[in-house]
Amino acid sequence: MPKKNVKQVPIFCYQCVAGPDLMKVEVEDGIATRIASNFDIREEHPGGGRVCVKAYGLIQKTYNPHRVKQPMKRTNPKKGRDEDPGFVPISWDEALDIVGKKIKETLADGPLDESGYPKIAASFGGGGTPTQYMGTFPALLSAFGGVDLGFGAGQGVKCYHSEHLYGELWHRAFIVAPDTPHCNYILSFGHNGDASAGVAGIWRHADARVRGMKRVQVEPHLSVTGAVAAEWIPIKPKTDVAFLYAVIHRILHERDWRLICDMERIRDDSNAPYLLGPNGYFLRDPETLKPLMYDLSDNTAKPFDADIKDPALEGTYTCAGVEDGPDGQQWHHDAVEVQPAHQKLIDHIAPYTPEWAAAECDVPADRIRRVADEFVEQATVGATIEIEGRTLPNRPVAILLGKTVNNGWGGYNACWARTLLLTLVGALEVPGGMIGTNVKLNRPADDRFVSAVMNRDGFMEFPFNETSKQEWQAKPHIRNAYRTLVPLVANSAWSPALGPAHLPWLFQKKPPDHWPKPTKPEIWFCYRTNPAISSWNAPEVAKRVAEFPFIVAFSYTYDETNHFADILLPENTDLESLQLIQIGNTKFIEQLWGHEGWAIRQPAGEKVVDSMDMTDIATALAERGGLLKAYNQAINRGAAGQRLVTDDYDYGLDEEVPHACEEIWNATAKAASHVMTGGEKVVDIDWFKENGYMLRPFSKLHWYLYPRLKDQGIRFEQPYQERILRHGTQLAHRLHEIGVEWWDEQLEEYEALPEYKPFPDIWTDYVKDAGQSPDDYPFWALTARSMQYSWGANVGIPLINEVAQNIAGHKGVIVNRSAAKKLGLEDGDPVVIESVSGVSTGYAVLREGIRPDTVLMIGQFDHWKTPYAKDLHLPSLNSLTDLSLKLTDSTGSGSDITRVRITKGKGPKRAAA
Amino acid sequence: MTQISDQNTDPRWGMVIDVNRCVGCQTCTVACKHANDTVPGVQWRKVLDVETGAFPDVERLFLVTGCQHCEEPPCVPVCPTGATKQRADGLVTMDYDRCIGCASCAVACPYQARTIVHDQRWYYGQETLQEKYVDHKERRGVAQKCTFCIDRVDDGLAAGLTPGVDPDATPACSAACIASAIQFGDFNDPDSNVSRLIRDNDYFQMHAELNTDPQIKYLYSTPAVPGRDVKDVDVSDETLSDPSNPLVGQLQTFWDMRAAMNFILGGFGAGFALISYLLYLTAGLDGETLTHAYVLAGGIIAVGLFFVWLKIGRKLRAPFAILRPQTSWMSREIYAVGVFYLAMLADLAFNVPSLHFLTAAAAIVFLYCQTRILHMSRGIPAWRVRMMPTMLMATGVFEGIGVAALAVVIAMPALSGIYLLSAAGILMAAINALLWQTYLQRARKAGIGPLARGVLAKATPRLHLVGHLLPIVFFAADLLWPGGPMWPLAVAGVFTLAGGAYWKSVLITKAAYQQGYALAKFPQRGSGQFAAPPLV
Repeated sequence: MPKKNVKQVPIFCYQCVAGPDLMKVEVEDGIATRIASNFDIREEHPGGGRVCVKAYGLIQKTYNPHRVKQPMKRTNPKKGRDEDPGFVPISWDEALDIVGKKIKETLADGPLDESGYPKIAASFGGGGTPTQYMGTFPALLSAFGGVDLGFGAGQGVKCYHSEHLYGELWHRAFIVAPDTPHCNYILSFGHNGDASAGVAGIWRHADARVRGMKRVQVEPHLSVTGAVAAEWIPIKPKTDVAFLYAVIHRILHERDWRLICDMERIRDDSNAPYLLGPNGYFLRDPETLKPLMYDLSDNTAKPFDADIKDPALEGTYTCAGVEDGPDGQQWHHDAVEVQPAHQKLIDHIAPYTPEWAAAECDVPADRIRRVADEFVEQATVGATIEIEGRTLPNRPVAILLGKTVNNGWGGYNACWARTLLLTLVGALEVPGGMIGTNVKLNRPADDRFVSAVMNRDGFMEFPFNETSKQEWQAKPHIRNAYRTLVPLVANSAWSPALGPAHLPWLFQKKPPDHWPKPTKPEIWFCYRTNPAISSWNAPEVAKRVAEFPFIVAFSYTYDETNHFADILLPENTDLESLQLIQIGNTKFIEQLWGHEGWAIRQPAGEKVVDSMDMTDIATALAERGGLLKAYNQAINRGAAGQRLVTDDYDYGLDEEVPHACEEIWNATAKAASHVMTGGEKVVDIDWFKENGYMLRPFSKLHWYLYPRLKDQGIRFEQPYQERILRHGTQLAHRLHEIGVEWWDEQLEEYEALPEYKPFPDIWTDYVKDAGQSPDDYPFWALTARSMQYSWGANVGIPLINEVAQNIAGHKGVIVNRSAAKKLGLEDGDPVVIESVSGVSTGYAVLREGIRPDTVLMIGQFDHWKTPYAKDLHLPSLNSLTDLSLKLTDSTGSGSDITRVRITKGKGPKRAAA
Repeated sequence: MTQISDQNTDPRWGMVIDVNRCVGCQTCTVACKHANDTVPGVQWRKVLDVETGAFPDVERLFLVTGCQHCEEPPCVPVCPTGATKQRADGLVTMDYDRCIGCASCAVACPYQARTIVHDQRWYYGQETLQEKYVDHKERRGVAQKCTFCIDRVDDGLAAGLTPGVDPDATPACSAACIASAIQFGDFNDPDSNVSRLIRDNDYFQMHAELNTDPQIKYLYSTPAVPGRDVKDVDVSDETLSDPSNPLVGQLQTFWDMRAAMNFILGGFGAGFALISYLLYLTAGLDGETLTHAYVLAGGIIAVGLFFVWLKIGRKLRAPFAILRPQTSWMSREIYAVGVFYLAMLADLAFNVPSLHFLTAAAAIVFLYCQTRILHMSRGIPAWRVRMMPTMLMATGVFEGIGVAALAVVIAMPALSGIYLLSAAGILMAAINALLWQTYLQRARKAGIGPLARGVLAKATPRLHLVGHLLPIVFFAADLLWPGGPMWPLAVAGVFTLAGGAYWKSVLITKAAYQQGYALAKFPQRGSGQFAAPPLV
């Protein structure tokens, strides 16, 4: 039967941070019927133009009968999980009037409350993906004049937290990725890229495997990524640092590092030759304060940028110089024994033998040695490769860290060890090795090279939050206090989300000593996020949410967070809304393109509920809130992704009047295409609607930072972390000056060469602190990414559930078969999982690919309100982990791990599918 | 690796699936569901999450499954209507408007590729706007399976595109795959991607031992991870008894007790017709009584056929089942039963020896057709064994004795030569018991899995007692008690029929585990013994 009135509508999918990927929606008589990849872009897109499983859920998302079908108003003033919100339908006019009036009233006497915190707060889902859907809402946030973006929606499984911070410091790598097309050997510590690195990641790694790349997967459970790795090493949870340190030990103590390491890179491109004084700071030239190196060719200490023929890496020397310590303290030395940083490193790593590590991480020493040797061998030190006419080092080895490895305690050590290992073999930011893909903390965000400029010590500048007595921000400006507590998180638009984003929830309940009163936001906007499910100790976060006085939730269906909302605003969902976004360049995980450009998301079918485009909602709220001019100005400044007015062109909007969604994006389309083509081909929004995307070439040389650094003579800041030591010491001074002692454990983490700690003990001690015996909680509970579910807000979509059931772990908690037998558990048995802080229930899934001391709960579930999802009866680690300062590291991050016990529950076995 | 002929001008569409590429993301599964509008619970393309070994020596991999578009598809010859065919280019097609939903194809497929959905299903429990547009009423109650997206292939070719190269002309799963794990193309074109892949790499075909020559070929090694022979992999009874193991075949639900009733009553009726004819030849049964016995046999058979008619998905299309006598034993069964009923009626009218013979012969052919229906169900190891026709024929004869024993007691007490019936009953009980034991002994070797073997073993004592020993006892009592009462003969008949009904119902509804899935070769990766060899 011939189809009537069928069209293919090009849009993008950015449901997870590994996007965007482009697709086409088949629309018949105004109804979106099917999704397919947009193969038009298959040559340019690093994932062959494909979209992943999640994209196909969007049809059912659109026609989900459980959608919130019109704006709703709460009628029950009492908020609580057991309280019926009494939502009643209202018109858009009424809803926008209520919220607009509330904004106007709230901002009438300024954006800050009596504690100095923004009165308005907003929370978004993970990875910045909501900004790819929220239209011009950022312009409205800007117009507020101050907004608290620090109420996190959970980090853990959604965030490479330590990597973000240290990665940007060391090599402008908010996210790191292997240079997969050239890489031959990957040592992966729980990095679940084949579930989390999106289409591009899976596409590139599959090619690499077939080409011959070997990946060694070190993780407590055999993930889907481990499944396709060449080798699985089942390590004890949270002991990855021991393995990494032993690999370093193998290289520096058991092999002759002078023969196997990239000596040129160590000598010329790192701080290994920098001399260190007795107080742990660089020995500097007294006049210029430049760090000194010891030139063996004439036995003198010289500034790092002098002509040094043979810098010493080993040994002890007697030199004169000055150490520039914290808070301006200086130690002047006329003749003091000093050592190069590399010598310090060798000494530092001496205790961490493979035998020591074997006892710590439950991996045989010889296996660690073999992996270390493979890593060095595969690095092909000395080899070169030509990229677009430039000869660069070819170091086809990489080390990846999973989220629980690099989040929370031990994250610093793991990131440092990984980056150091790559530095030792010269594999950082070169073809084949580990490269950063983008920046979020440094500015500008659209080009990670621009901020790579030299500081006084020969490293890249970095916008630390100040810790000096004069400039330290003693009073937090938002509730998570990232500028006060975390120097490393900088102060970009992304910094609030990367601060201690769970601390506001914790502090709302019990404020710490000597800290501003933890006020509640007077208005809280909640967009594409469900912190009452996705946070650590999610039930506790739900209680805090319930205390917020006025919540505006952009809502797709009812869920566990908007259950507490005052106003529900149903936004147009993915197939109904209009927005242009930037694509290409280098983005997040493995989206490394040879092109860059723009793509459109546009209404594919006719609307089926009384929803509204986010851009129109933002405009209407700006107008009703008395913020229209500021809002339009923000759009003209580029809040919609592209400046509308520059010296070269003017597609600016009239700042005095409201503009329709179509008009705003039309201006953006023109500005974007103007920039793309140098003004030669300026196109409107209709062109994008027809063609889907616009591209221009992007040099692959721009994938690798090393040439950029080399050209400027900038060194990688490895192995020695003098700046971290200084900032940590200064921060300790500042906090102690105001009486804050509750951050002391975190302050100890600011080490120049991080020492190993028995990290698992942190969680067993947590059990003891709760007055219980660790023996009663014999399992490590972990989580892992569900590719089918993550970030898509698709937990209420039956199609996704159906196909996810094909992958183990989507039916319950994975338990080692032998361990389960000892507990009398069979596959499908109901189980109760308990930690000292929470409980979750589900069904047992028995597998062999998991350590007997570990259980695994994939994804984030335990829903009690979201339609369909609440009937899945799936357990969640978020119901078992706790919000706690004890479990928070110095960057404000924690880990998805806790100790649990598991017992047989009541009721029948899980019904067969 | 293989040699590829370039002599054939017809394309031969097939797939090459690289086990080393697949990450189990289910994008192909869901892309197929979109492209083919399958309803909840139906996955023409499905990726299994397979684990083998024991901690810490474990391997996990993902296995793409679906219709293999076999060169020798077991589903095609069994189709009684011609709804399932094979094209010259190898694609195994479905004509939903012709299919009656008898599920012969479903139980014949050793790849669990076929489904029949009888009920109306919506994803949210209620029809959504989109589902109105993608509903396929023609698929309800009939067999469905992967078509290799035949419309995309044909439309693509018509548009000058190359399947396997141009996404629009390529099956949706292959086009959508985000790991390039599913390649589609023409095996008859030596330059096609799939031909190059199997020429340059090691591959295996699933269940190659069944000689179906499936056209999905699995690559299992790469330069980094060489493959291994399957002998290293745990195929112990314990592993293959684990219902959570996705490789383990599930109990088929296509044929339930209604279908079993056809085999049970078919055996009763046809066997009775045969035994009656033999009694006519040897024991003085008169011709008129024989024609009445044939009517009774016909009635029993009719009830069985009625039950199976209740089971088929499209009842009004039942007559289509006569359309494939050239290959389908179900069609032949209908022709045989048709001849039987015509002969029976004619015999009732004319009562002549030639019709006596023809009726009995038709009944036996009918019974034989039934035995072959089960035997040709190659997706069910417990059914497809070589001795299954012999067992069913022997049981049919035995059951005929059982019905005859009852009939004699009730209607023909004065019949001479009854001792022959009891003697034959003892003999057939012994033969059936022997056949059953042989079946059990050969079960493992014949590929019957531990779950089915467990069911059969569990049923054995009861079967031997009820179906073999007790009939022997009571037939013997009848023999050894000349001039005694008739009830031992009647009791023997009842136990004979109970035994026959019991084992057939067990076989069809309880021991009918599907073939399941298997990997003939494994990539070398994982941990311990499964891991790839060290690089240095």
